[in-house]
Amino acid sequence: MRIFDLTLKDLTQILRDKKSLLFLVAMPIVFTLFMGFAYRGNSSDENADTRIPLAVVDPEPESRLNKMLLSRLDSSDTIRTVHLSEADAIESLRKSEVAGVLVIPVGFSEQAEAGKEAQLKLIAQASSSEGQSLYQLLRVPISQLMSAVEIAQISAENNANEFAPTIELAWSKWEVQSQRSLVRVEQAAAQETSDWAGGNPYNQASPGILVQFAIFGLVTSAQILVQERKSRTLQRLMTTAMRPWEIVAGHLLAMFTLTFLQTAMLVIFGQLVLSVNYFREPLGTLLVSVALGLWVASLGLLIGVVAKEEQQVILFSMIAMFLFSALGGTWFPLEAAGGAFAAIGKLLPSAWAMTGLQNILIRGLSLSSTLLPAGILFLYAVGFFGLAVWRFKKV
Amino acid sequence: MPKAIEVNNLKKSFGELQAVQGVSFSAEAGEVLSLLGPNGAGKSTTISMLSGLLAPSDGDASIMGHSISREPLLAKSALGVVPQDIALYPDLSARENLDFWGKMYGLRGGALKTRVGEVLEIIGLSDRQKDKVGTFSGGMKRRVNIGAALLHKPKVIIMDEPTVGIDPQSRRHILDNVKLLNSQGMTVLYTTHYMEEAEELSNHIAIMDKGKIVAMGTYRELIQLVGGQTRIDLSVNIEKERIIPAWKTVEGVSQIDSTNGTISAIVTDSNLVLPKLFETAAKLNARITSVEIKEPNLETVFMHLTGKALRD
Repeated sequence: MRIFDLTLKDLTQILRDKKSLLFLVAMPIVFTLFMGFAYRGNSSDENADTRIPLAVVDPEPESRLNKMLLSRLDSSDTIRTVHLSEADAIESLRKSEVAGVLVIPVGFSEQAEAGKEAQLKLIAQASSSEGQSLYQLLRVPISQLMSAVEIAQISAENNANEFAPTIELAWSKWEVQSQRSLVRVEQAAAQETSDWAGGNPYNQASPGILVQFAIFGLVTSAQILVQERKSRTLQRLMTTAMRPWEIVAGHLLAMFTLTFLQTAMLVIFGQLVLSVNYFREPLGTLLVSVALGLWVASLGLLIGVVAKEEQQVILFSMIAMFLFSALGGTWFPLEAAGGAFAAIGKLLPSAWAMTGLQNILIRGLSLSSTLLPAGILFLYAVGFFGLAVWRFKKV
Repeated sequence: MPKAIEVNNLKKSFGELQAVQGVSFSAEAGEVLSLLGPNGAGKSTTISMLSGLLAPSDGDASIMGHSISREPLLAKSALGVVPQDIALYPDLSARENLDFWGKMYGLRGGALKTRVGEVLEIIGLSDRQKDKVGTFSGGMKRRVNIGAALLHKPKVIIMDEPTVGIDPQSRRHILDNVKLLNSQGMTVLYTTHYMEEAEELSNHIAIMDKGKIVAMGTYRELIQLVGGQTRIDLSVNIEKERIIPAWKTVEGVSQIDSTNGTISAIVTDSNLVLPKLFETAAKLNARITSVEIKEPNLETVFMHLTGKALRD
């Protein structure tokens, strides 16, 4: 019971301080909105055309096969065609306005229908991923077109009039088949979208700021422990019948409660205002939030025990915030950083908190995907708590 | 019936420094025992061990029969501690502070509310109970500091220099409170370096110096230790370093020391010794600018026992 009384006293002191409300409520909300706007400009304009731009050089737009192929490409949801002259198309490619140029040679349709060798030309940068994608994307409709031609040729062997209706029919059948899912794909995890924020920039901003400000909140909560030691009230507590572990637990519980309440507030704000779908897996979100709260509280306890002055609390909290935030992927996804940076970052508890939340928000995974991140956060909490208790005994 | 406080050969070392060197004393239930000594004598270290803040290097002590080493929680339950520092939360009101400390001592609900009200009356701050402690004067803070130790009606209360740095009115209030608590049966262990307070409050006084108890007894018993000697305080117009060695050789001077420009001498008979002190001063071309002859008191006793003034 005395543990809860100590917790309640700490919370009263923290919440009575107007600056605390600034750190705990106002700043994280403002920063979430700000970072969301920044990410929006960078990656997630919902109205932007994300199809791969392809310049098409078609000197005979009225030819049958040209019309059939281009009508398919023009309506593609993966390729955006731009009809240009060859010179302009090459210039656009040089300026990177398009990812490739498809050149349909003069007489292509006529030669193909006659069963002669006919070849299209794709000009694309081999080193570009979009260029490579274009080759793969164009192979399918072109192969289908040529097979439709062959079918029509077979059909017209006895009657030349059969060519036109057969190629139309074969082509339309290919179109229907290509829209139908012939192979069911089952995956343990839903496929990641090409947009790292999953279509909503706040999917990165909201959990990122949530984790960052959970650490930043220590500026206020760890101060209480330092003030208690400086004002000798901690020593006075030790003269009561409270055991040392009860005193440590009371302060830890206060820091955990504060962090958890802040997290809960930001989760609800994210869900209701920013459409960040934390409630898709409410238990997973809760689990990660609790584990995050425990880790941050134990870190706060350690800072509170180590720091001798209030200024040191601010300094240590800021160092912890910048270190864990920057390296832990709260400002930008570690996948975007790559290399040694991402490898180091993934070891940090903040990165595991982000992984846990983004498994729910971006990767669309289930509760079970949060067990590992939460477990690792819990282990970090135990480690930091052990260090804090060890230091506390020496104080 | 166990003694309220029993201390046996208590020792505490910090590395090479032996802060407390085998201290033993006891206090019966209902008495006021003062630990008197200059700063650094080991008083605070002794009471830090009694209140469970420091583990003894050797020896043991008990509060109401409970060993501080083997039954620390029971010992602490019988104890109220008034620390030398103002150990309160300045951003909480007087009542909130007392509420909190009452809970830490295990009080709850109506009992807590009633007791907090009583303590506010005792310390004379009922009308300021809703004000934040941070806005109080030093004396008022000291009173709340004491009140926080009274909430659970401890059998024994330890007060570590509770009147340091406060105005005379608050000091008087605190001394009267100590007497009141003692009259209600509370045992008080009171540390101070003000001999007047020790003299006014105590049934017994233990004089500490350099980690040891150099004398213990009632006030009268301690005064008798100086054997009717008198203290003379003198001021001179030359450097004290020049005249003290000369006065030390004067017949009838048993101890001599100086603090804050005043030279104190313990002498067997002031009527015989004083003219010799003037004579010695004249030989050094020194002029005695003030003389005060004092009846033996605890200061005299301390100087007699340690060779130095208590005010050090």
